[in-house]
Amino acid sequence: MRSTDTSSMRAVALHAIDGATRDLITDAKTVYSTPETGFNEHKTADYVKQRLQSLGFVVETGIARTGMKAVLRGAKPGPTVAVIAELDALRVPTHPGADAESGAAHACGHHAQIGSMLGVATALSAPELRNALSGNVAFIVTPAEEFIDIQERLALRASGEIEFLSGKQEMIRLGTFDDVDMAMMVHTSAGKGSSALSIGGTSNAHVSHQVRYIGRSAHAGGAPDYGINALQAAMLANTAINAQRETFRESDVVRVHGIISNGGASVNAVPGEVIYEGRVRAKSLETLEPIAEKVIRCYRAGALAMGASVEVQSIAGYHGLIQDPTMQKLFVGNAELVLGRDSISVVSASQTHGGSTDMGDLSTIMPVIHPYTNSASGIGHGHDYLIEDYDRAVVAPAKVMAATVLDLLGNEAQTARQAVDQSKPGMTAEQYVSVQRDRFKTELFEQS
Amino acid sequence: MAERANLKSLLSSSIIKRADELERVARDILDHPESGYREVRTSNLVADWFKSNGMEVQSGIARTGVIGTFDTGRPGPHVAVMGEMDSLIVPGHAHADAETGAAHACGHHAQIGSMLTVAAGLAESSVMSGLSGKISFMAVPAEEYIELEYRESLRETGEIEFFGGKQEFIKLGFLNDVDIAMLTHTGGEPPGTFGVGGSNNGMIGKTIQYIGKAAHAGGSPHLGINALNAAHIGLAAIHAQRETFRDADTVRVHPIITKGGAAVNSVPADVRIETYVRASNVPAILNTSEKIDRAFRAGALATGATVKITTNPGYLPAKYDDQLTQVYRHNAASLIGDDNVIDLSHSSGCTDMGDVSQLVPTIQPTANATSGNGHGVDYLVENYDLAVIKAGKAMGMTVVDLLADDGAKGRRIAGSFNAPMTISEYLGRMRGFRSEATYTE
Repeated sequence: MRSTDTSSMRAVALHAIDGATRDLITDAKTVYSTPETGFNEHKTADYVKQRLQSLGFVVETGIARTGMKAVLRGAKPGPTVAVIAELDALRVPTHPGADAESGAAHACGHHAQIGSMLGVATALSAPELRNALSGNVAFIVTPAEEFIDIQERLALRASGEIEFLSGKQEMIRLGTFDDVDMAMMVHTSAGKGSSALSIGGTSNAHVSHQVRYIGRSAHAGGAPDYGINALQAAMLANTAINAQRETFRESDVVRVHGIISNGGASVNAVPGEVIYEGRVRAKSLETLEPIAEKVIRCYRAGALAMGASVEVQSIAGYHGLIQDPTMQKLFVGNAELVLGRDSISVVSASQTHGGSTDMGDLSTIMPVIHPYTNSASGIGHGHDYLIEDYDRAVVAPAKVMAATVLDLLGNEAQTARQAVDQSKPGMTAEQYVSVQRDRFKTELFEQS
Repeated sequence: MAERANLKSLLSSSIIKRADELERVARDILDHPESGYREVRTSNLVADWFKSNGMEVQSGIARTGVIGTFDTGRPGPHVAVMGEMDSLIVPGHAHADAETGAAHACGHHAQIGSMLTVAAGLAESSVMSGLSGKISFMAVPAEEYIELEYRESLRETGEIEFFGGKQEFIKLGFLNDVDIAMLTHTGGEPPGTFGVGGSNNGMIGKTIQYIGKAAHAGGSPHLGINALNAAHIGLAAIHAQRETFRDADTVRVHPIITKGGAAVNSVPADVRIETYVRASNVPAILNTSEKIDRAFRAGALATGATVKITTNPGYLPAKYDDQLTQVYRHNAASLIGDDNVIDLSHSSGCTDMGDVSQLVPTIQPTANATSGNGHGVDYLVENYDLAVIKAGKAMGMTVVDLLADDGAKGRRIAGSFNAPMTISEYLGRMRGFRSEATYTE
C-alpha cells in the first residue's frame, strides 16, 4: 500500500510540474535576462519572492542581503529538507546574455535552478502532497555562489553587511540552515555523455588571496632606478608559483590561478602598487592548507626579489563537497523512474571536480546532494555557455527533486530520518563558523 | 729633445732587428694556451727570455708570475711594463688546447710579445745609459676572472688570496715602489689603429649554491625541493631588476649555471651559479650586488630551498691617467700617424689594470689588430706587427720620455697623480668585498 501511496503522490507531483512547464521555463528565462552578480541580485530576488508568494508561501527575505527562505510545512512533524536555488550570475561581458553595463551573465546556468526550485515548490504545494509529508521543505534561495568580486565583497564585509563572502556561508552563519536537516539542488552543466543527469564525486576546497604588493612609484623613463616595481614582484611570484606545479599531486586536484586586478596606475610610472587576486584549490581543506603556504611563500619571494613589501590577505573560501550516499541513491532511483533507465550517470565518489561550490560548506554540516543536469552547450563560465535544453535544465530536475523529497518525507519520513542518522557531518554549524573565521588572516611581509 | 729622439731611434732599431723572434714568442704562447694561475709553460718561457737578455729575474710570484728588471742604477721613477700570461677557456677556438679548451681568445699572448719588445729595445745598453730609474717587466697571471671554483680552492689552501694576478702582485708588495704602469691590450676596430684613454667597469664575483632536496622526478616530485627551479626563479628575478640599472653605471650582470642537476630523473638538489656584477663605479656595484643577492634569495624562498651566496672581490673600475696618455699618444702617432690614434670610450668589460689604476698612473692602450669577437671562438690577432712590434715600440718610446732627462717627465706624472687610495687602503677595501651568507627562509 505504501509504495502505491508513494507512486500516486509522485504522479500528482509530476503532473503538477508538467502543467507548470511553460511557467517554469519562463521563470528561468526571465532570470537569465536580468543577470546580477552575487549579493546584488535585487531584481532576481524580487521576482523569485513574488513567484513564491503567488504559490502561497510566506517568504522571509533579505537574508544575507538578497537571500530568502520559504517553508512548506507538512501535516506531521519531521525533518526539514532544503531545496536550494542560487540567484547570482557570473561576470562574462562577452556572453550574449550579458548585462551591457555590469557585464554580468548567467554563464553558469543558475537561472535554471530558480526554475527547477519553483517547480518543486509548485508540485509540493498541492494540498494532498503536503498532507502526506512528515516534515518540512525549505525553499532556500541563496545569493553569491560564484566566489568573485572579492574587493566589492570585502567592502561589504568591512561595513558589516556580510561576514563571509558567499551566500550559503553567510546563511549558515545567520542560522538559516539551523532548522534544516538535509539539502539538495541541481546545477546545470554542458552535456558530457548522453545522460540527462549526473551525480556523485566531490568538489574542491579553496582559499582566496588578496595580495597587495607595495613598491615605490617613479618615472619609468626618467628615474626607474628610484622605483620599486610592484608589477615585477607580482610577475615573479607568478613564475615562482608555476615552478611549484611539479610538486602538486594529481590526487590532490590542485588548482592555483590568479588575476592581476590592479597592474599599475599608468604605463609611464613604475607600478608602486599591484593587486594580485589568487585562488588555491585542492580536494580538501587539509590538503589545501600546506599548498596555500607554498603559494604564499611565492608571493613573498616576488617581494623579496624586488625589495617590495607584500600584504597577503587570506579569505576563507569553500570546503570540499561530500555528497550523501543515501540521498544520492534516492535521487538516482527517482531519475530512473521519472526519466528512464539511462537518464542518469553516476560519477565515482573519489572523483573530484576541479571547481568549488559553497554546497561543499553546507556538506560539512548536513547531508547534501549536488547533481548536474547536462543541458548546456559551450564552456562553463565561458562566453558561449548557453542552456540548450530547458526541459532538461528546469523541468527534469524539478521532477526528480520533487520525487526525491516525497521519498524522504513520505512514509513518516523514515528515509529522511535514516539518512540523517547515518550521515556523519564533519562539524556543527557553530564549529563551521569558527573554522571559517580562523581562515581569515592578513599577513604583512615588509621589505627588510 | 734631441737626446730623447736619439734614444727612441736606437730603441726602434734594436727592436726591428729582433722583430721576427718577438713575433715568434707571441705565436708560441698562442699555441700553448694556459688559463689563469696555471700558466706554467708560459711563465718558464718568459723567465728564460728575461734571463737570456741579462735581466734580474724573480719568478713564482702568485704561482706563475715573473718579473724581469732593468735598473739604470740612477735614481728615478720606477715604470712597470706589464703583460698578461693567461688565456681564456674557449673550446672550438682555432688555437684551443684540445684537452683543456684553453685558448688565447683575448690576445694576451700578444701582450707578452709587446712587453718583451719593450725589453728588447731597452736591452741596448746605449738606450739605458740615457735613462734614470728602473723598468720592471711584469708577466702577470690570471687577468681573466674565470674558473671561480678552482680559484676558490687555491684561496682556501692559501696559495692565493685574490682571483686576479695583478691583485696578488699588489698584495705581495710588487707595486709598492712602482710609479707608473702600462700594458697594451689587443683590440679590433678600427683595424691598424691604437686606442688610448677610456675607462673600464669594475666588478665583483659571486658563486651561488642552491641546496634543495632530491627525489624521484617522476615518482614523487612532491617530496623534492627543486634547486634548479630555485635558480630559475633567482635568474628571472635578476632580470626583473634590470630596469633599475642606470645607464651611467653601465651595469652588467651575466650569470652562468655551472651545475644544473645530477640526473634528469631526479629533482635537482644542488645547483650552482657563477655571476659577475659589473658597473662603472663602486657604489653602483655594491647597490646592484644587494639587488642580486635579494633576487637569489627569492628563488630559495619560493621553493623552500637553501641558498649560499659567496661574494668575492673582483676588479676595481679603471681610470687611465690623462698626462701619461698624452705622452703615449704622441709616440703612437709618430709610428702610425695622428689619424690612426683614436680615443677609447668607456668599456663595460673589466680588468685588474683597474686595480693598478687606483694606485699609480696607469694606461692600457689597445693595439687594434684582431678579427672576430673578443672572448669568442673567432678572435684572432691578424696584425702581429701592430700588436707586438709597434705596440712595444710605442710603449718603449713612452718609457724613454718618462725616464730621460733624469726621469723628469716620469717624476712629474707620478708626482701629480692623486691616488684614490693607498695600497693598504686598497687591500682593506678588497677584503671588505668578500662575504659568505646562507639563507633558509
